Amino acid sequence: MLIFDQLKREDPKLRIISLGVISGLVILLAGLWWVQIVSAKRYEANLKNQSFRSVRVPALRGKILDRNNQSLAENRPRFDVNIYLEDLRPQFTREFASVARAFTNRTPGLKIRGKVLEEVNREARYRVASNITSQITSKLQQPQVLDSARFTKHYQQQPYIPFPLLQNLTQKQVAIFAENFTGLTGVEMEIQPMRTYPNGATASHLLGWIQRHDEPRDEEEIACKYYLPDFIGRAGVEASFDGALRGTAGVKSLLVNNLGYRQREEMLSLTEAGRNLSLTIDLTLQRAAEKALASAMPNVRGAAVVMDVRNGNILALVSAPAFDPNAFPNGISSADWSLLNNEKYSHMFNRATFGAYPPGSILKILTAIACFESNIMSPAEIIHDPGYFEDRRLLGTRRIKSLASPGDYDFKRAFLKSSNTYFIHFGLKAGLKKLVEVGERFHLGENTGILPGEEVSGEYPHSNRLSGKYAGDTANLCIGQGDITVTPIQVAAMTAAIANGGKLFWPRLIRDLRPADAVEADLNSFQSGSLRADVRLNPRHLQIIHQAMLADVEDSEGTGSAARVEGFRVGGKTGTAEGTKEQTTWFASFGPFENPRYAVVVMVQAGVSGGGTCAPVAGKIYKAILNLERTGPAAPQTRAGLN
Amino acid sequence: MYETNLNERKSFLEWPLILAMLGLMLIGTAFIYSAAFANESARTLSWFKQLYVKQIIWYEIGIGFVIALCFFDYRTLARWSIIGYWGTILFLILVLMIGSGGASWGARRWINLGFFQFQPSEFTKIAFIFMLANFLSRPVEELRSKTLFFKALGMIALPFLLILKEPDLGSALVFFPVGLLMMFVAGVPVKYVTAFVGGVGLLMVLILVDVLFVPIDSHWQVIKLEPYQRHRLLTYFGQDFAPKNATPTERKQAQLLQNKRSYNVEQALISVGSGGLTGKGWRQGTQYSLGFLPRAVAHNDFIFSVIAEEEGFVGSVIVLTLYTVILFSGIKIASQARDRLGKILAVGVVALLFSHIFINIGMNIRLMPVTGIPLPLLSYGGSSVLCSLIAIGILQNVHMYRRAY
Repeated sequence: MLIFDQLKREDPKLRIISLGVISGLVILLAGLWWVQIVSAKRYEANLKNQSFRSVRVPALRGKILDRNNQSLAENRPRFDVNIYLEDLRPQFTREFASVARAFTNRTPGLKIRGKVLEEVNREARYRVASNITSQITSKLQQPQVLDSARFTKHYQQQPYIPFPLLQNLTQKQVAIFAENFTGLTGVEMEIQPMRTYPNGATASHLLGWIQRHDEPRDEEEIACKYYLPDFIGRAGVEASFDGALRGTAGVKSLLVNNLGYRQREEMLSLTEAGRNLSLTIDLTLQRAAEKALASAMPNVRGAAVVMDVRNGNILALVSAPAFDPNAFPNGISSADWSLLNNEKYSHMFNRATFGAYPPGSILKILTAIACFESNIMSPAEIIHDPGYFEDRRLLGTRRIKSLASPGDYDFKRAFLKSSNTYFIHFGLKAGLKKLVEVGERFHLGENTGILPGEEVSGEYPHSNRLSGKYAGDTANLCIGQGDITVTPIQVAAMTAAIANGGKLFWPRLIRDLRPADAVEADLNSFQSGSLRADVRLNPRHLQIIHQAMLADVEDSEGTGSAARVEGFRVGGKTGTAEGTKEQTTWFASFGPFENPRYAVVVMVQAGVSGGGTCAPVAGKIYKAILNLERTGPAAPQTRAGLN
Repeated sequence: MYETNLNERKSFLEWPLILAMLGLMLIGTAFIYSAAFANESARTLSWFKQLYVKQIIWYEIGIGFVIALCFFDYRTLARWSIIGYWGTILFLILVLMIGSGGASWGARRWINLGFFQFQPSEFTKIAFIFMLANFLSRPVEELRSKTLFFKALGMIALPFLLILKEPDLGSALVFFPVGLLMMFVAGVPVKYVTAFVGGVGLLMVLILVDVLFVPIDSHWQVIKLEPYQRHRLLTYFGQDFAPKNATPTERKQAQLLQNKRSYNVEQALISVGSGGLTGKGWRQGTQYSLGFLPRAVAHNDFIFSVIAEEEGFVGSVIVLTLYTVILFSGIKIASQARDRLGKILAVGVVALLFSHIFINIGMNIRLMPVTGIPLPLLSYGGSSVLCSLIAIGILQNVHMYRRAY
């Protein structure tokens, strides 16, 4: 063997060298054996205890765009000032000495150890951070005193994450900071993407709002122990499509030394920006509808929906009063919050989808269909309305008021003057079962599916559970009173089906979702014109009803004459429903009459009457539609800013 | 088996040496690949910028040197040793003036040639071995002269001091065992050698006492080491950085520093230890991929940790075995050398390689303090690879021109 040959060499000097080399190698071998075999368990345990912190890094939230790619929600750069604690360590130690001196001066003979040592350390750290805070904040003309409790908590829990000092610097402050503090140890100005809604309160209910949210959302994220500020959608599309908009958070791995300071950091998985969401909403029309609704009365509480009757696309969806979603990402004060949630106005409440109101006379459209289909009513037949409805046999002593002036009514006149007597008379003949069946064909009492979890279904009797209902209930149903409630979005879908000849569409609010970097979506994930049901309407009946709705607007006697628009023929039905506290006024309409394209539904709480309060709003919306059709869609805005 | 081999005379190459060298180069490539690929950003580099590709290129250049060396008899080469020696000394002076180095402790060890971080201290070691071998190969009788002994000491001291000034204590100290063994084998009287050993030993002890027990900045402290060197020694001996009379603040500060300074050693030890018997498998190591074993050192000074973590004790033994083959081939070559020059040369090379191996592997398992000594053939780096291969080329050269039995 090579080794032993050398040991047997005659040359004694080489033999000594061989022995020396052998001993050295044996020492190494023994050392390796000790470390790798004998102590392996201990080192394996050490390996596992290495202090790594996974930190979740939120992705850039996707934009929300209108149908013409105008921005409804986007991100702008926000300038923050953060303190990097690990860089302040030398200053902490320096400050420690003077704090310790102060302590011993105060109580001579004090031993700096244990609890006292901790306190001295805490005080030293606080002094350093506090000095920096006052130095920076006073220069930025936003003087602040560092909150000791907040700082200490941050230091104890996550010293490896920078301490947020100031957020949302103004342009001027950014300039002052850059000039004065660039290069200051331990302090950095950083850019954070910040959610912003460029149109303020416009479409706020639809868009929803977002809130700080730093907790894990799925199992994978639970593995991360720490979170950088992230946001979660709390209402509207921000909530319904939170997952898609939020994208995929990345994971940053921080190596933390035994003192808890950050040693090094590294991205373990990259963030994937959220997808952009394109809506069917037309921003111009949305604005016009909001303006129109606001003009209905002072402090209006109501809703307006504009739907494309050909495919169910929602072009505008308004709820008043509205809120500014820009108030939320930076945190809203509790005073402002309670103001927005005022019981009467409840700004946060989306009346168009969450508000269920008695429909009143707009339901007479369905009563008419039921009566026509039962072959018990001919349009020419005349009924006398004495100003009330009375039937001793069916209703006993109860009289139901009719708001129409006393007189003789055929179908058209009864419809346009909204005679309760006329419709109860025939409705009772058609019967509860028939009336309910027609409503069920329009899926009243069911969700429209506009956004998951973002609506209520309203109340409508179920055809299997009609026992226990009396003629009085039937009479109420004929004129949309009693236990029935509908949401404006349901009425819009219903009106659209009346207008388009009986096709009930799923309302469509989302055009598509597309990756942040794609200009065009490669496929429409949300199909246009998704048919929910064929309501099976007789074209002859429908024609009579269309004519009556047209007359309601165009006839001088019609209740909805305020919705009349030059050059755009509108058909509609007004409604005024009495409630326990206040009345709900409605106007459900479509246009243009010859070739219906739009359904416009307006609801105002505590309005004067459907014709007086809501019809003018619809008229203004139709004017805006007409304008829009003449000028064409708005060009997409180009805005400076992130993404 | 070699003594019975009648064909030995015909053997042109020292096969065990060459095979062990190729084996180590293979391992080096594989684990530099492994260590570098743990780094996300490194993966995005184009292939020709990858560290392992660069290492392969250095291996190839180095093999070119080995082949070139074989064309010249080592005796011819030794005649040029004076030029080589003073040339590298010149570079050592140059590096002190224009060199760049490890950012963290402001040392000047490299001359940046753009494509190549030229580290003169490595080449000095080779030139020094030639110089001293040439100097000592004179008749044994002459070596008894004291003047000659001191001249030899001077040859050691000059590069030692220059490299110490960089500062690179580890590389500087390597000159002592190498010089010592060369003198010993050349036949310098044993009393001189023992005096030399004693002197070096005393120097070491003085340094240690100075560092470990004498308060800093007192006039008793004779040897002023760089703070990081002192800290490495304190870490190695498990001493507190803080002096005995330190205030709590100073103690705390020292503690922080100590944790920082001992970080690499701790992590290297965890790497090696967690490898266990069979290791975690190639490219399965976590210590460097998670960044515990610092990226900057994983592929060069601490490459052995990577191998030990991924291949375990088995891998460590394989590496040690390959080094054993190289070292003992070297000793065998020394014993068969044609003349004393060849013998001294071979022993010098063996001593150099052994010192590097022992210090580097020892540092990975905390047998030795941390120094910037690379592991021959395995550590990443052009200077180190070239010098290791030139050293092996010298052995091969002595083998080729050996005397015939």
